[in-house]
Amino acid sequence: MDFWIKNERGQAQFKGGRHDWPQASAIAAGCLHFSLDDEDELVAEEERSCYNCRYRRWTEHSFICMKR
Amino acid sequence: MKIYVGIDDTDSIEQGATGQSANQLIKLIENQRWGSCQGLTRHQLLLHPDIAYTSHNSSMCFTADIEAIYLNSLIEEAGKFLERDSAPGSDPGLCVVAAEQLQGAEELIAYGYETKKRIVTKEEAYTLARKLGVHLSEHGGTGLGVIGALAGVGLRMTNNDGRFQGRLKIKKPGATISVAEIKSSSPVDRVQSVDGYVLQENEEVRLGEKLKTVLLDGMRNLLVYRRESGREWETCTNAHLENY
Repeated sequence: MDFWIKNERGQAQFKGGRHDWPQASAIAAGCLHFSLDDEDELVAEEERSCYNCRYRRWTEHSFICMKR
Repeated sequence: MKIYVGIDDTDSIEQGATGQSANQLIKLIENQRWGSCQGLTRHQLLLHPDIAYTSHNSSMCFTADIEAIYLNSLIEEAGKFLERDSAPGSDPGLCVVAAEQLQGAEELIAYGYETKKRIVTKEEAYTLARKLGVHLSEHGGTGLGVIGALAGVGLRMTNNDGRFQGRLKIKKPGATISVAEIKSSSPVDRVQSVDGYVLQENEEVRLGEKLKTVLLDGMRNLLVYRRESGREWETCTNAHLENY
């Protein structure tokens, strides 16, 4: 299943919005690029989550993965 | 004299964090014995595709009590520090405001709120800084960090915006302790529920994994919540605090 949608700039935007904790965690579990962001920028309780990755760029309703 | 120091855009996608830069700057000020620094706060600005932020568009601000004779040295050294230690490819900005010299704090506060609602230009930031007579400077790259650096100070001055950097270490997660004990063993000024109820000294709170505090009413607040049908106060999770 694809959890990403291309935005108008061709970037990979997460379909799950800002609160799909299980999915963001599951994706990060298998991601070779995952890198934990600074402690003050962590939002998910599970450390390994796209929501906590320094390569996510927040948007108003979701985030863009800068490595896809 | 009390000063506000705001910095922004010292990181790149691959390295650095503006919070870390701010902490290093605090050490620099205190090592030089120019004064003492207080709570470092993180302020969220607008998330918009046309803004060139790295990943979260937040800026950092701290206050310091310094001897007035050191103000110019502090500004000069802080600028050099940002030029030397910011991540390659970053666009650092520095704002320093002496509280007692500022006329028009309300304009600075309004500007801070504007940066949460719309795209603000570098020219707008410099125009306001000149008008208010506050220090604003760029130290590499595009220098766009001046927008957030000025906003960080404005938002800190609201006394009602942002999260404090770092997390508290009181007792182990799962421990239940009184509000009085929390306040006596940490920098927390007040324990408040997410709905605005201020807990009494003898009320008890179950501590979670990560204890973060927020700036509300000019105080450092530890926020708590009750689970549905629960009677026990618990400290908020990161997810609860995302809007602070």
